[in-house]
Amino acid sequence: MAEMVFSSWGGKVVDNRQGGEPAAAAFKLPDNYLEEGNVGAFMGWDGVIVLDKDIDIVSMAAEYMKRVQEKYCCAKCTPGKRGTRVMMDTLARIVAGHGDESDLDTLTGLSDLLENCKCTLCMTAAKPVLDTVKYFRDDYLAYLRGERKSKQAKAYHDKLTAPCMDRCPAHIDIPAYIEEIKDYRHDESLSTIRRNMPIPAVCGRVCPHPCESACRRALIDEPISIMVLKRVAADHELLHVQEPPMKPKEATGKKVIVVGAGPAGLTCAYYLALEGHKVKIIDMLTEPGGTVAVGIPDYRMPRPLLQREADIITALGVEIEYGVKLGRDVSLRELKDQYDAVFLGTGAFKSKPMGVEGEDEGYEGFSEGGINYLRAVALNQGMVTPKRVIVVGGGNTAIDCVRVALREGAEDSILVYRRTRKEMPAESYEVDDAEEENVQFEFLRNPTRLIVENNKVIGVEVIKMELGEPDDSGRRRPQEVPGSEYIIPCDMVIPAIGQDPDLSYLEDGDYGIKQTRWNSIVTKGGTMMTDNKGVFAGGDCEYGAMTVVLAVGHGRRAARAMHRYLMEGKAYLDEEDAMEDIVNNLGVFDKTENVGIIGGLHREHQPKVNGAERAHNYDEIELAMPESQAVREAERCLRCYRVAMLAVN
Amino acid sequence: MINLKIDGKDVQIASGATILDAAEKVAIKIPTLCYLKKISPTGACRICAVEVEGADKTMTACNTRAVNGMVVTTQSEKLTLIRRQIVELLLVNHPLDCPVCDAGGECDLQDVCYSQDVVRQSFEAEDVNAATIDHWPLIQQVPNRCIMCEKCVKTCHETIGSSALFVNEKGDRAFIDKDLDKCEFCGNCVQVCPTGTMISKPFKFKARPWELRKTPSVCTLCAAQCQLDINSKHGKVLRMTSEDGITVNDGNLCVGGFFGHDYLNSDQRLTVPLLDQQVTSWETALDKVVTGFTRLRDEQGGQAIAGLASPHLTNEENYLFQKLFRVALGSNNIDSEARFSSLRASKVLKKLLKLNGASNHLDRIGQAEAVLVFGADLRSESPALNWQVQRAARKNDSRLIVANQRQVKLVKQAESFLQYRAGSEAYLAGALTKLLVDKGLADNDFLKRCVGNRDELENYLNGLDLDAACAATGVSLAHLEEAADYLGQAASVAIVFGRDVMGSARAEDAVAALSNLALVSGALHGDRGGLFPVAAKGNTQGLIDAGVAPEFLPGLVDYTAGKEKFAASWHTALPEGGADASGILAGIEAGTIRALFLAATNPLISFPESARWRKALEKLDLLVVQDILASDLTRLATVVLPGAASAEKRGSVTALDQRVNTLRVAVAPPGAARPDLAILSDLFARLTGKPEPSEKVIRQEMMELSGGYADVCLNLEQRSFCWKQAYAPAEKSLLAATPELTTPAAVDLQLLVGKCPFQFGTTTTYSKANNELAPEGLIFVNPEDAVKLGVADGGQLKVTGPAGSTRGKVMVHAMVPAGLLTASDNFADMNIQQIMPSGSICVAVTASKA
Repeated sequence: MAEMVFSSWGGKVVDNRQGGEPAAAAFKLPDNYLEEGNVGAFMGWDGVIVLDKDIDIVSMAAEYMKRVQEKYCCAKCTPGKRGTRVMMDTLARIVAGHGDESDLDTLTGLSDLLENCKCTLCMTAAKPVLDTVKYFRDDYLAYLRGERKSKQAKAYHDKLTAPCMDRCPAHIDIPAYIEEIKDYRHDESLSTIRRNMPIPAVCGRVCPHPCESACRRALIDEPISIMVLKRVAADHELLHVQEPPMKPKEATGKKVIVVGAGPAGLTCAYYLALEGHKVKIIDMLTEPGGTVAVGIPDYRMPRPLLQREADIITALGVEIEYGVKLGRDVSLRELKDQYDAVFLGTGAFKSKPMGVEGEDEGYEGFSEGGINYLRAVALNQGMVTPKRVIVVGGGNTAIDCVRVALREGAEDSILVYRRTRKEMPAESYEVDDAEEENVQFEFLRNPTRLIVENNKVIGVEVIKMELGEPDDSGRRRPQEVPGSEYIIPCDMVIPAIGQDPDLSYLEDGDYGIKQTRWNSIVTKGGTMMTDNKGVFAGGDCEYGAMTVVLAVGHGRRAARAMHRYLMEGKAYLDEEDAMEDIVNNLGVFDKTENVGIIGGLHREHQPKVNGAERAHNYDEIELAMPESQAVREAERCLRCYRVAMLAVN
Repeated sequence: MINLKIDGKDVQIASGATILDAAEKVAIKIPTLCYLKKISPTGACRICAVEVEGADKTMTACNTRAVNGMVVTTQSEKLTLIRRQIVELLLVNHPLDCPVCDAGGECDLQDVCYSQDVVRQSFEAEDVNAATIDHWPLIQQVPNRCIMCEKCVKTCHETIGSSALFVNEKGDRAFIDKDLDKCEFCGNCVQVCPTGTMISKPFKFKARPWELRKTPSVCTLCAAQCQLDINSKHGKVLRMTSEDGITVNDGNLCVGGFFGHDYLNSDQRLTVPLLDQQVTSWETALDKVVTGFTRLRDEQGGQAIAGLASPHLTNEENYLFQKLFRVALGSNNIDSEARFSSLRASKVLKKLLKLNGASNHLDRIGQAEAVLVFGADLRSESPALNWQVQRAARKNDSRLIVANQRQVKLVKQAESFLQYRAGSEAYLAGALTKLLVDKGLADNDFLKRCVGNRDELENYLNGLDLDAACAATGVSLAHLEEAADYLGQAASVAIVFGRDVMGSARAEDAVAALSNLALVSGALHGDRGGLFPVAAKGNTQGLIDAGVAPEFLPGLVDYTAGKEKFAASWHTALPEGGADASGILAGIEAGTIRALFLAATNPLISFPESARWRKALEKLDLLVVQDILASDLTRLATVVLPGAASAEKRGSVTALDQRVNTLRVAVAPPGAARPDLAILSDLFARLTGKPEPSEKVIRQEMMELSGGYADVCLNLEQRSFCWKQAYAPAEKSLLAATPELTTPAAVDLQLLVGKCPFQFGTTTTYSKANNELAPEGLIFVNPEDAVKLGVADGGQLKVTGPAGSTRGKVMVHAMVPAGLLTASDNFADMNIQQIMPSGSICVAVTASKA
């Protein structure tokens, strides 16, 4: 980490320009920008950070405001459009040596006026400039006295972001697509989403929406229904029977193989196809979607919609061959030989063991794992669900299992979890949904032993737990209550503890592809390329079982790097990728921020089929939000754009 | 309800309302600039910034929803400063061309500067000085004057549904740009522009706003009859405007209303009476008419004389026209172009539903939960109805179902598109009706209460074979079911049908089938939705109400049944028999009809078999043409009587939704031209020897006798309208129909005649503005057919139909399906009606490259 010269970041001023102890930085900035040079300074919504004392901060402020005005200002409000223009010209005048002291008052005054902007883009852009006027006044005065000539940094790199957009692993331009919904422009909204996310009907339904936990609206009332608005945009196209507008670029003649038609693979294929590459996907299943198809029940994610998303991708020229498993039907070496690049999006399909006595004996009534159970049901593989089912775990898969078991005829569907409801990693609304459907919960219980009769599970012995001190994850660690074991009778036990990638396809030779100790593939520097040149990986097989939206983010990032690899022979990050990572590392959402306006509005919810009505069928539970309601919800968005700029020396 | 406090005043307002709404309620004025009630709030200008207790920053009143307990301050030193600075920013580099700016005097920016006391501008920035956009037809864009309020962009998208305008570029260089292909040239961008950014080229430099006299009236170019203000100066109409909020069209106008008035100033206007094509006096001209008609009447009987009236005439004029024929000339040979479309629908609906025209007001379309637009190109046929559909589909979550032979513009917004084959309309509507009943989605309450022959309907629908319906229509069962679900699940349904239905070969069956669908879907039930036949031209409804048809007396009273009663009212015996348009044509050809009076109608272009009409007209002893514009028709006439356009006369006209509007005199008719009612009154007096009936007496009589007008109270001095008697079906009074279902024969190539979106009848082809957009008739050809026929865009195609051949310029477009050509009947040059038979606007044709 470079030593810090000055920082006003987050309102905390640290000034080492006259020497002094370098204070520990409260932010994370890299020392270098790719291979271009040292990070010299950073400007953004929360202030100024100077790492290199040779950075000409006045010139940088002028450049920053120029970019804000010319590149990012949407022009849709008066103070933003004209105010930043006046600021840009004022700074340019100062840097050109024609300024006078009243110009500094103009800058200060306009910074105040920009507080009245429609959104936070120009409003927050005034902040670092104001800080420079405040803390680098001498530098300004030197310019005003004609004592200084402008010194540009080696390069400046900028980035438009927003807390939600930054938090979204696919980095969708959320404020833009929400504003388009607000303006009744659903087609455009969907196009905006598709710039980063080719399966919006899926992520409009089953995304865990981390973006909503970084929504500034929550600081004044409740977060925007970002996910549901995405569904509204996606459904609009479907309901209006419109042809998606995307057209691939001219063919490049390059061939790519994508392994796995899950969210990572589909996404990667989509963006590569748009660039004109010939893409083929192979998948071991018989339908597209991977875990989304066979791991998420139809009442949450109707598969016809998933199929349509895949159809849209194949309409771009992508071929999908089903029933082909890497390592079984084809080797990675063969793929490497036949294609110009390979993307591994093989997911995480291997259930984790529960670690209880008897689980590897192959007893009747013991499922290999939640994901296996869900898949067998989804694919109609003759899975018979008995009357009394116990599912062990607290994640989304566990919840899906108990709810599917009900739909498959179980009379008692019981979830056993070793902590309390509060600690469950599953989405809380899904836990509520399960409860409404009459799922039973046994909290603070942990299985210790399977009870078997005639090689058939008839119950599970559990031990009571209590919560102790918080562990690494911040959740209170469950501890056994000695001697509290008892037996819960049941006909079936489904462990849903988690999944790991199955990377056995790497074992047929030495590919030089590194793996983590959690059996996931290691990729390099954000390019998603493995140590084997030309082989890329993303999604659950790279990260470990995670979210659809992360897989989408990986797929897109990989496609971008692969495109460069295919066309230029080198996988690297461009400005967008690099700045995305830098800003992400720094963090954009500040949960302590005083937003300065009042809220008082509730977020809009989509209608839902009631618990009794839905508990025994696979019809979609969440009904479409009427568009007028979506517009109302979109109107709540604060459009929290921010512009960052980095100076490289 | 929400309770809040604004400037110390307690306000209670409905949830969802904004601070601005709440302030308005207690008469607190918050300055605004970008706010426009009919579009979603933009929050662009920031002038409506207010202080809210608990908020460090200001909040904008126009787009901040009021919440309980809010304490709002709208006036403070801080706010004054902010507002003033914002206006100052707006003025940075704003050109000082107010003296020559079209908006000068009606500029919101001027007004806000004045009201906010902005007397200087302290900011400085380099002038972007964007070039004026002058290459768009009819509309000029001056970016330097733009304050980026986006009113134009939003009106274009949300209200009109064109979505042509958008913000291009970033920062201070941002400007309003346009996708010309999408533009409908409705001029609403010009109307809503608060400054002189969007300018009407035809109006530019013609007048200062304060010099213009505004005459409230209505547009009669289509049957929706939008309310507008005729802006005139020195006796010349220079522009049309319309006010938001107080007009039924909420200030919106279309290319006809906004630009079409230019025909008023055409050099082709008829300004003097002509006798044998020579200028003459009114006395001589009328004397010729009177002596000619009288001689024929006395020598050969009234049946030797015929007359055709017009939707361009007022209710009073049409009323007097038919009375003149029946009473003064003893002839019942009267008809109009409504014969070929609207009258066919009216007859069926009258019989089945006791309905004369639409069942509800236009704005009820916008409130319906499902809208079915059947066989209508609304954007062209009646833009005001298109706006209602926009409101329904875009803002009110309504399901839109479009049934059409071609991909009309609305298809893009439809959730269900039923692309049917010509001639299968009845089958399509029948299948939807059957599905609603089969799915248990029929409005049984309404059926039980109002329909007298439910059994017949049930039997009929039982006999309707869905497979056969699919085969006949070319629509899949899945599509039909989806559409039926949408209609059935909606609590209110609007069914709008247009010219494709009313002009089709089997229009009566099609309308009857739609009538059944209306009964079953509940379209006639309740306050929202309704059944809406889209009449083609301005006062078609008034024309029909006036009884200009041999089989009907005023009020759609059956001629035979009502004869005695009317004879008593008119103190004379009424003639027997009577020929309709086809009969008149045949009569002229046979020599039994010797004289023809054409009042504001032109069969040489607007009637099918127009070439046959031309030949027939040449045979007449006496052809009297009363019209406003010179044409081939007036050149054939023995006597030409120059009439007045709608902006030049008084009278009432009836919109398709039973709204009776008043026309007011904005300018005098040109030269010696006279209001049509005056001409007809004069003739009536001369022919009967009685005194000239006064305008008031005629109106009184028309209203008493035309049915439904009894309660109409017109104030001809002000902007006003009245509704005809509301549609309220009595119990068991309605009849379900059993229309014949036919499977159309396979045809290689068909021609469908429609309307050009930029032209209204032939009238606007005399407007330079409209001709800039659509100078000539086009034949739309599917790309596949274009290849087969060996034609490309701009090429010439010869088309031969049952009544003859014509040629026209080709436009290759996937909007029309393979096997279908479309052409509009607005243009005298192509004169597509010369190849069309009477009674169908879609016929088999042959085509070849010309």
